[in-house]
Amino acid sequence: MSQTIPPIAELRRATRRYPGVLALDGVAFSVQPGEVRAILGKNGAGKSTLIRLLTGAETPDEGVVLLNGKPLAIQGAGRTREAAGRGLRAVYQELSLVPSMSIAENMFLGAWPRAHGILDHRSMAEATRHALLRLGLKLDPFLLISALSPAAQQMVEIARAFQGSPRLVILDEPTSSLAAAEVDQVCAAVREVAAQGVAVLYVSHRMNEIRRLADTATVLRDGRIISTLPVAEARTEDIVQMMLGRSEQTRTIIPQSGGETVLEVRNLAVPPKLNGVTFALRRGEVLGIAGLLGSGRTELFESIMGLSKPLSGQVLVAGAPAPRRYTDMIQLGFGYTPESRKEDGIIPMLGVDENTVATDFRQVDRAGILSNKVIAEATRAIISRLHVKTAATTTPIATLSGGNQQKVVIGRWIHAGSRILLLDEPTRGVDVEAKNQIYDIIRSLAREGKSILFVSSEIEELDHVCDRVLVLRNGQIAEEHAAPKIDAERLLAACIG
Amino acid sequence: MTASAIAPPTARQKTNRLSGHVNEFGLIAIIVVLYVIFGIISPGFLSANNQVNILRDGSTIGIAAWAQTLVIVAGEIDISVGPMVAFISVVMAFLLKWHEPLAISLGAGLVLGAALGSVAGALRGVFNVPSFVATLGLWSALRGLALFMTNALPVSFDDNDTLDWMGDNVFGLPVSAVVMIILFGLFVFVSRKTAFGRSVYAVGGNASAARLCGINVTRIRILVFTLSGLMAAITAVMLLARLGTGNAGAAEGLEFDVIAGVVVGGTALSGGRGSMLGTLLGVLAITVIGDGLVLYGINSFVQDMVRGVIIVAAVLLNVAALRRSGRGRH
Repeated sequence: MSQTIPPIAELRRATRRYPGVLALDGVAFSVQPGEVRAILGKNGAGKSTLIRLLTGAETPDEGVVLLNGKPLAIQGAGRTREAAGRGLRAVYQELSLVPSMSIAENMFLGAWPRAHGILDHRSMAEATRHALLRLGLKLDPFLLISALSPAAQQMVEIARAFQGSPRLVILDEPTSSLAAAEVDQVCAAVREVAAQGVAVLYVSHRMNEIRRLADTATVLRDGRIISTLPVAEARTEDIVQMMLGRSEQTRTIIPQSGGETVLEVRNLAVPPKLNGVTFALRRGEVLGIAGLLGSGRTELFESIMGLSKPLSGQVLVAGAPAPRRYTDMIQLGFGYTPESRKEDGIIPMLGVDENTVATDFRQVDRAGILSNKVIAEATRAIISRLHVKTAATTTPIATLSGGNQQKVVIGRWIHAGSRILLLDEPTRGVDVEAKNQIYDIIRSLAREGKSILFVSSEIEELDHVCDRVLVLRNGQIAEEHAAPKIDAERLLAACIG
Repeated sequence: MTASAIAPPTARQKTNRLSGHVNEFGLIAIIVVLYVIFGIISPGFLSANNQVNILRDGSTIGIAAWAQTLVIVAGEIDISVGPMVAFISVVMAFLLKWHEPLAISLGAGLVLGAALGSVAGALRGVFNVPSFVATLGLWSALRGLALFMTNALPVSFDDNDTLDWMGDNVFGLPVSAVVMIILFGLFVFVSRKTAFGRSVYAVGGNASAARLCGINVTRIRILVFTLSGLMAAITAVMLLARLGTGNAGAAEGLEFDVIAGVVVGGTALSGGRGSMLGTLLGVLAITVIGDGLVLYGINSFVQDMVRGVIIVAAVLLNVAALRRSGRGRH
């Protein structure tokens, strides 16, 4: 790295604290013009905070953020505009396009070119066509965003970031919703803008992309930069080691269960995410699914549960073809907790009690009439078994902490007596104590003979809980690891492949 | 990862039972204030006779408002109430005019109301037409059809003792008010003590989560409109009994009073929150305002204006009280 050119962006001794967490700890970070830098680190390592400091979405508690050699000065709401004014663009995983407007209007959102005070649609369309072509996209600029596939929307978002004269572009997991051909186009576009002197921060864990694109990689762990190294010289195992650090936790020794097969998935295909997934789940087993964001974990669960229709393949429950309707799956003893607790999990205004018994009202009524007494008893049983911290059974669930909400969302399937549980990221956004409690809950359910499919982005937790772990990569089961030989480092290496 | 770990029970959660009824206390206070004001300015407002009037007028709004509460709690809205009442009263009047037995005429009206409501519900639940639009269509179509069928003239029929009795009083109370009170008890029961009732709250609170719990969201959405249509039909029966004719122009603007009653009663238009008791008080407030203004004797156009202002002010007060008690926002 030559030090003659001043860096585009720099953090000096930047520290950011959240209640109870030190998200970034005195970090020094800089990136040069034309450099493509990969940012790696597991969940909670401080990647998002680093990005948010650069975009001005947050202000460091200590230290300075410099863009183009000058510190960001504005505090509060104007800070992101100041950063954007210095040529910073960011693309996040969540889309920020207006679905009901055209591609061209979205490209210039809020800064539409005008001629004599009237929107200049022609030059807008021309510039848009040009920007899209750079990514190899031949799309009509007047198409509505809502008419595009999620992948195409993501491409438009990236095209918008490359437009104008950016100095630093941050791409946060830009390829998680894209198919292979589109990934190639994104890579080509990143290289092209880098050749023009634009710096790119590329947050991703797909090693093959990083090796194709990035010059250097910064690895974060626990709010610190562990290392910044040239990608060409780095071995994947070393990067994994840096991401995980030395594990000091003693691993729970888990007996391999040998029950009969309760669920079988054969050649399940959900394009473009899954092409031919095959596995079996046994009675009393906790089967983990490891895979990167966008590897198709949620799609797998949804097609097993009958919430979406797979293109091909079979799902067998106890040897018989599974029904294709979600409610029938529930009747068969399945339970599903979604990835997004807030959007799809809790019913915020209702009490813990109603959030628990909603999966099966028949257990808490007497001749069709709900009994408050029975509801309270059923809820108390779940509360005490799962150690839910709540003032009363009727406390609105929205007032509980994330971990306790999650326990209730799992508990409602215990109430329903489900035998097969599909848990999608049950420990996401949950504090450490609640995490450990959720692991205990999962193990105790397995001891009772229930079967659990467990999806997690946090690789290190899989070996605490799972009897077996399947690695989902490129739309297929790439590897299988069985206890007691589940090793976080090998799993992570398999995921980022 | 925010460490919002273990929240000890707060004082607010402990007093949940009491603060859960801030809304109802506020409404009772508003109604008392209205009684004091109208008692002073409107002659005859406090008379026993007028209390019976208030009950009778209240029942026209109330019966439909019970079902509307469930519709709004489910996150939907039904604006077809007025034309639905008028249309069904016209249909029943024709059947009576053609000498169909009373039971058959009224029964057919009730079935028709439930069926039309189900149509609106199916448009929403199955075909995803926003309920405002679906019921706006019904609103226009039913009023038009009723006027077309009758040439805007009242449809009269032979006297019927039973129907006359239904338009009269029993133990000094209007029969319609008794029906309203019985139905109120029924709806309180359904909304609190049945899986259907609680599912309505779950669907309105978070439809996606409700669906993943195994609740049949489509069925719930259809059924709330079925009930709304059925209650409009019962209102039509009461109206027919009171007026003695079927009238295509009847119940004009009823949907306004019904929705206002529910909303004044503290039910959130965004769904998921609301109570039957709140709606009862809301309907009472709306009725008292209407009755008091009539007795005060101001111009009827001005009445509408004052009524609009009072309704918005009442909701404003209510929202402020809810926010102060910390339950208005989640």
